[in-house]
This record gives sequence, structure tokens and C-alpha cells, in this order.
Amino acid sequence: MANTVIGSTIVIDGEITGDEDLVIQGTVKGRVSLRENILVEESGVLEANVETATITIHGTVTGDVHATERAELKSNCRVVGDIRAPRVLIADGASFKGSVDMDA
Amino acid sequence: MPPVASRAPSTASASSDTSCVIGPKIVVRGALSGEEDLVVEGRVEGRVTLVGHLVIAPGGSALADIDATSVEVRGEVRGDIVASRSITIERGAVVAGNVRAPRVMIHDGAHFDGAIDMDVALPDGFAQGQARGRSPGRSSARAQS
Repeated sequence: MANTVIGSTIVIDGEITGDEDLVIQGTVKGRVSLRENILVEESGVLEANVETATITIHGTVTGDVHATERAELKSNCRVVGDIRAPRVLIADGASFKGSVDMDA
Repeated sequence: MPPVASRAPSTASASSDTSCVIGPKIVVRGALSGEEDLVVEGRVEGRVTLVGHLVIAPGGSALADIDATSVEVRGEVRGDIVASRSITIERGAVVAGNVRAPRVMIHDGAHFDGAIDMDVALPDGFAQGQARGRSPGRSSARAQS
């Protein structure tokens, strides 16, 4: 298992940095800075400013997201914050409040 | 990974064995807490509070104070470790800090620098003497009177 998985009962208050895929089932507060892919699962809560290559959100994200490739908001996700990414996908049923900047 | 396909299996495995992993190229700084088993193959700095089994894998490191049910060190830990059940320091591990647990195991080939507290049941008089800051002889005489 190469991925990093933050399990559903885990709470991280601080900062995550690194160079590999990250799956969030629990709670992460603070700052996340990756050069790979982030998957926020339905149980996942991300209260952080995020820098990443791609992010796929099924759960809850509060904070600004900067993705160098793609940000994908799936149905049933809740996102509050600004999104900056060249490709932003918002699925039917997603709930989002914030601004989108695709010029990045 | 394709999210829809991956969701069902990953959620299913979340409740079972070691599904929570901090991978080798990840650094976590700050406070990490939770109620499940955790494997650290990367780096954790700050504080770890876990109800569950914590493994610091070979190549993994923790610059952190650790409080967990049980801890197994195969990598490197700099900081104090408290476990309610056991602490195992395996061959090749490096630990610098104080450890406290009812069971502490240090295997051949491990490097450990620090103090160990196993909550040893001291002889009656000795324990009382320590608790009251008196010599063992005096306190046992007191107990008899």
C-alpha cells in the first residue's frame, strides 16, 4: 500500500507535506501541501489551505484550494473556499460557496 | 485512482487492519490523534495520541511525544513514549527518549537511549518510603505501629 491514508478516526491538527497520494477519511486541520493527488472521502473533513496537483472531494472542505492540474467536486461534497485550478469540475449535487479561478 | 471504484473497498478496509498509513514521502507536523491503528512509514513531528497500535516502520521517523495503546518501533523515535499496554523496540530501531509502559521490550540490535518506567511493583516498604520521601526502614516501622 503506497498511499497515505488518514483513517476515519484520525484528527491531524497541523500540517501535511509530501510527495505522494493522500486519502483523507478523517479530519485534517491546518495546511496541506502535496505534489500529488488528494482524495477526500465522504467521511473526510479538510479544514485547511491546500496545495496539490489534483484534488477529488467527496466530503467536506473548508479553506482555499490551489490545484496545479485539477479540482473535482463530487456530488454530496461540501466546499467553502476559493478554488484555483486550470480544470475545475463540479458535479450535480455538490454544494460549493466560494470563487473559482481557472486562469492559474 | 478512480474514486468511485476505490471508495467501497477502502471504506471497508478502514475498519479492519492497518489501513491508516502515513506514507514514506509524507511529513505530518502538529498534533495527530485517533482511535485506530496507524503505520508511520514517513515522518511525524509534534504529538501523537492514539487509541490503537502504532507502528513506526523501517525508514519511518517520529520526532514526537507518543501516547498510544501499544507502540512498535522499527524506525526512529525521538521523544517520549507512553503506552498503556506495551512498547516494542525492534532490531534496527533507534529510540531516544523516555518510555513508560507496563511491558517494554527491547530486541537485540535495537538502539535505545533514555529511561524506562514499567511501573514495577516495588516491595511494600520501599514503595511507601519512596512515596513519602522517607527511607524504607522508617516507613515500614511506621506501618507496623
